[in-house]
Amino acid sequence: MLLIHCPYCDETLPELEFAYAGEAHIERPKDPSALSDEEWRDFLFIRTNPKGTHYERWRHVHGCARYFNAARDTVSDKFLTTYRAGEARPDLDRKEAAE
Amino acid sequence: MSTYRVSGKGRVNRGETVRFTFDGTSYEGYRGDTIASALLAHGVHLMGRSFKYHRPRGPVAAGTEEPNALVGTSRGKGRFEPNTRATAQELRRGLTVESQNKWPNLKFDVGGINDRMYMLFSAGFYYKTFMWPRSFWDRVYEPIIRAAAGLGRPPEDLDPDRYASRYLHTDLLVVGAGPAGIAAALAAARAGAEVTLMDEHAEMGGSLLSDPDVTIEGAPAWEWLATQLAELDRLGVRRMTRTTAIGYYHQNMVGLCEKLTDHLDDVPADAPRERMWRVRANRVVLAQGALEKPLVFDGNDRPGVMLAGAAQTYLNRYGVKVGDRAVIVTSHDSAYYAAFDLADAGTRIAAIVDTRDTPRDDLAQEAKRRGIDLLAGHTVTGTSGRLRVKSVRVARVSGGKVTDGRAVACDCLLMCGGWTPSLHLFSHTKGTLKFDDALQAFLPDYSAEDCHIAGAGRGLWGYEATLSDGNAAGVAAAVALGHEAQESRIEVQGDRPGTGVTHKELPTDGQPGRARAFVDFQNDVTAKDIRLAVREGMRSIEHVKRYTTNGMATDQGKMSNINGLMIASDAVGKAPPQVGLTTFRPPYTPTTFGTFAGYHRGGHFEVTRKTPIDAWAESHGAAFEPVSLWRRAWYFPKAGEDMDAAVARECAATRNSVGIFDASTLGKIEVQGPDAVEFMNRMYTNPWTKLGIGRARYGLLLGEDGFIRDDGVIGRLAQDLFHVTTTTGGAARVLTMMEDYLQTEWPDLDVWLTSTTEQWATIALNGPNARRVLEPLVEGQDMSAEAFPHMSVAECRVAGFPARLFRISFTGELGFEINVPARHGLALWEALMKSGAQYDICPYGTETMHVLRAEKGFIIVGQDTDGTVTPGDANLSWAVGKKKPDFVGMRSLARPDLVAPGRKQLVGLMTGDGKVKLEEGAQIVADPNQPKPMKMLGHVTSSYYSAALGRHFAMALIEGGHEMEGREVYVPMPDGNHAAKITTTAFYDPEGERLKV
Amino acid sequence: MTNQKHDFPWVTIEDLAPDARFSLRVGEAGRDRAGLTLGLSLPTGVSNVVRHGERAVVCLGPDEWLVTAPEGERDAIVEAFATIYDQTPHSLVEISDRELTYRITGPAAFTLMTIGCPRDLSRLTPGRAVRTVFDGATVILWRDAEDAFRLDVWRSFAPHVRDLLDTGRAELAAGL
Repeated sequence: MLLIHCPYCDETLPELEFAYAGEAHIERPKDPSALSDEEWRDFLFIRTNPKGTHYERWRHVHGCARYFNAARDTVSDKFLTTYRAGEARPDLDRKEAAE
Repeated sequence: MSTYRVSGKGRVNRGETVRFTFDGTSYEGYRGDTIASALLAHGVHLMGRSFKYHRPRGPVAAGTEEPNALVGTSRGKGRFEPNTRATAQELRRGLTVESQNKWPNLKFDVGGINDRMYMLFSAGFYYKTFMWPRSFWDRVYEPIIRAAAGLGRPPEDLDPDRYASRYLHTDLLVVGAGPAGIAAALAAARAGAEVTLMDEHAEMGGSLLSDPDVTIEGAPAWEWLATQLAELDRLGVRRMTRTTAIGYYHQNMVGLCEKLTDHLDDVPADAPRERMWRVRANRVVLAQGALEKPLVFDGNDRPGVMLAGAAQTYLNRYGVKVGDRAVIVTSHDSAYYAAFDLADAGTRIAAIVDTRDTPRDDLAQEAKRRGIDLLAGHTVTGTSGRLRVKSVRVARVSGGKVTDGRAVACDCLLMCGGWTPSLHLFSHTKGTLKFDDALQAFLPDYSAEDCHIAGAGRGLWGYEATLSDGNAAGVAAAVALGHEAQESRIEVQGDRPGTGVTHKELPTDGQPGRARAFVDFQNDVTAKDIRLAVREGMRSIEHVKRYTTNGMATDQGKMSNINGLMIASDAVGKAPPQVGLTTFRPPYTPTTFGTFAGYHRGGHFEVTRKTPIDAWAESHGAAFEPVSLWRRAWYFPKAGEDMDAAVARECAATRNSVGIFDASTLGKIEVQGPDAVEFMNRMYTNPWTKLGIGRARYGLLLGEDGFIRDDGVIGRLAQDLFHVTTTTGGAARVLTMMEDYLQTEWPDLDVWLTSTTEQWATIALNGPNARRVLEPLVEGQDMSAEAFPHMSVAECRVAGFPARLFRISFTGELGFEINVPARHGLALWEALMKSGAQYDICPYGTETMHVLRAEKGFIIVGQDTDGTVTPGDANLSWAVGKKKPDFVGMRSLARPDLVAPGRKQLVGLMTGDGKVKLEEGAQIVADPNQPKPMKMLGHVTSSYYSAALGRHFAMALIEGGHEMEGREVYVPMPDGNHAAKITTTAFYDPEGERLKV
Repeated sequence: MTNQKHDFPWVTIEDLAPDARFSLRVGEAGRDRAGLTLGLSLPTGVSNVVRHGERAVVCLGPDEWLVTAPEGERDAIVEAFATIYDQTPHSLVEISDRELTYRITGPAAFTLMTIGCPRDLSRLTPGRAVRTVFDGATVILWRDAEDAFRLDVWRSFAPHVRDLLDTGRAELAAGL
């Protein structure tokens, strides 16, 4: 069971309080009707599924109820960092250098 | 008492005898004995028959790694457990023990014939033998041959015991309370760390309990131990015994199984048998020690053949000598100390057979001083004795040749093939191992967790080395936790250091093909099996393991993995690390299902949600059905009624007069804020802008893929306030989906969502007399058809309670849904029952609700839809706003697949005479005589008897169904093919006349 | 032999009478005004509690507060918020009947909480409250003192939680 840092509560808490919510940084198009069938298909169904760093969404469902984003290593399963919804994808190299 | 007790030895309580039975014979042991130590004290070595060959077996170890001495134990009715490790289970008064895998009895076992047929049962025999003829699979192989293999019998009664669980957060968890673990815990606790120390044994001390003849920091080992434990207690260290770390999970979460009562004579009421601890530790010290390896030679499994360290444990910890005349065979120095301890306690040591050419000088002199015959550069080539070893054949090895074989009489043979660091938990963490050529053992390498490994677990030997290493690990952990601490060396006098070598099978002058040299005792795997597997093409150790089942028994190869690897790598011709080590997985030792289930059994298995009106339904004889986590009243049978009769009566009563229904489980969401209407427009397919205050509308929710997700009636209570209802099962899902869009796609919207599902109790009244029942109870709302028409909502008082009152209908009859604060739900129900008495008001359950809605063609999301149904497919295009710029799922409604012909669409199905109830889920075909496999057009989604129609009717999803109205299709069912005509889904009152009142 | 006998002291579990409860949602711009309407300053930072008279407000999320008050103050609170709605849009939803509350007190209260709550409760210092999970059910967990907790549990989940608390109390009484 993982530990997850909630960027809204600013606490590191057990995974049982959280729910996974799919890949992050997939924004719903502002005007879906303007999209071609292929573009809309990509938005609906196409995901990266990487080995390594994965940007994904979680929700602190048994807590502050906020959705937030996380970078997680799909090999070790561990979280690299978490950040608030709407914030830009973090530059992990720079973050590691700073630590 | 028994003849093999040694006076002055052991830690068992000689003042307290404990009586138990083994295979019906009564025995006495002492408090603190295990089953094995107590039986050995009576000279009983034979404790079971082996898995495949039914060979006589006795204990080979003295701990949980034991592969042989597995017994059935019973602590009373329902408390039978198979495969209890006799070497770990403590005695308790009245414990009933039985041996396993034997018939008619342990000493004469018919299944022992398997042993003579061993050539048939070699590696992979399942794959080779159980192939043909086909008819033998069910009649011979499964019932007879399989039944002859295996260990123990499963318990037959429900487990009456309780199981518990807790979470524990600790700064430092130390796994294993041997010398290294104790030293680590003490170093960290002295530095101020908060420490938890645990051990699987009944008491702490580890190897010190088995091998106490040393002096630590000036004190005899056991005195030193008592002092340390007292100090740990003084420092507030949490000490847990009889507790096994079964798994090591992400981020220092360690699962512990604590055995609380199996050792107690009298179990306190309400005491759990075992407790699962889910421990989260900031740091972990693994001090699990090392496991002794057997040597592999012909007849190494005979009762009386055991690990030298085990014999030393039985002597020093339990005061039991395992025999009167022992032979030692070893490749490691440690067995010498076992031999010396046994010799000093009165066991005649007939010989020490050292496979190495030059034993350590001091050890050789100690042996000589005791008059022990030391045979260096020797091997063991076989044993004799049917139910107990009688002699061992030893031979000289020189220049690769085995010569001068001779028998040495003995009643026990103590072997030591070196020690394997116990790395199971470390492996659970995905920590990597590296092979140490000098030690011929795998050692921990990269660690994926914040853990330290101390002592014999990382290949160290001797007390001074392990104690000091434990101290260093404790200091390192404390420093990592922010404390200040200094390492210190722990001095040991009379230390017992040692080294050794690792072997494949011992050399022999016999025929290797005939040798019964066991590698895995529990699964009856021999060295020959492993070599055969390699000959037959297995190269990876993972393949060898699965082909031979080496290491696949419940001990996970604690004693067999390295020996198996040494033999396999020799056969493959590669170094051990190139052949690899199999993966250890949790649990470390077999763990009861009860411990994993914990509190979640019986009535507490899962949450059962009940409405405020549930108690009334129960006291009025309702039958219940589960709907998501809820239990809902299904129907209310009267005396003598079956379900069909009750439902037909409830339906008729509702259509003819009035019915009352508990709808409290419906999901309810308060949508409030200046942007509430905009939010509703974006989420639901329907247009909301023009919905007046006080009005309600059916709302349809799609996923972004265009498929129906949920539906419900939504009322507008104020300009900025909507009362949204969802399906019972969809409540949490819909709120989650709404929050997702609101928080992450449209954070600019000023609107907030609050679940009010459980704030309100909801009661539906339906039927032509519904208004007459309700009106007298309503204050603050004109109930006339003009003032409160169909699809209205108002805030008022009902039966004196504040209420949100809807006029809506899921039945096609005049209908109301009354929401009151949940605490008043039951009182409102009773008031309505009273008011409705003159109209014979009829309580109905979910089944009648389903029938009545189906008669109107109303869908149940999840029953008539399956996640691939669009509004158009379900005849709900009318609910989709045509002029809206966007809503969730709108773009998908134009996807090529969603506009293509041949979609499965919702239609009615009527059989000819209406007497047949089509099965829900039954497939539908155009021509029942077509060749198989038939083309299936769809399936029946809903099927009921309709009291109003006087016949059965059904709904179905059928390919291109909307174009097929009037066509005949067929529904194959177990009793034959039924023809049915496709109709619309408006079965009853299609014009909606009954609502116009 | 070490005998693992813990000397566990008592714990009591009580049902509490309902009080008036609201879920308050308001954006940053309206926070001060909303607090003023309650006669206090809304706490910021999840888990912080502010009290005023018999009213207590806990911050459950960045824009979410749980307001508790005596039943007699319910209507006044509703009316006060109604008057500020136009200038200070918010959502005030009465949830007095949504949850039932249990109080758990006594020297073994902390241990009893650990049978269902995966959080490190030592970090939930007295005076604070959080939404968390207890044996699968969402709860609001209040720590009123070192050895006093309250659990607000959704009405239909409450018997399940209560059942486990009772089981745990019996287990503690058994001393193992």
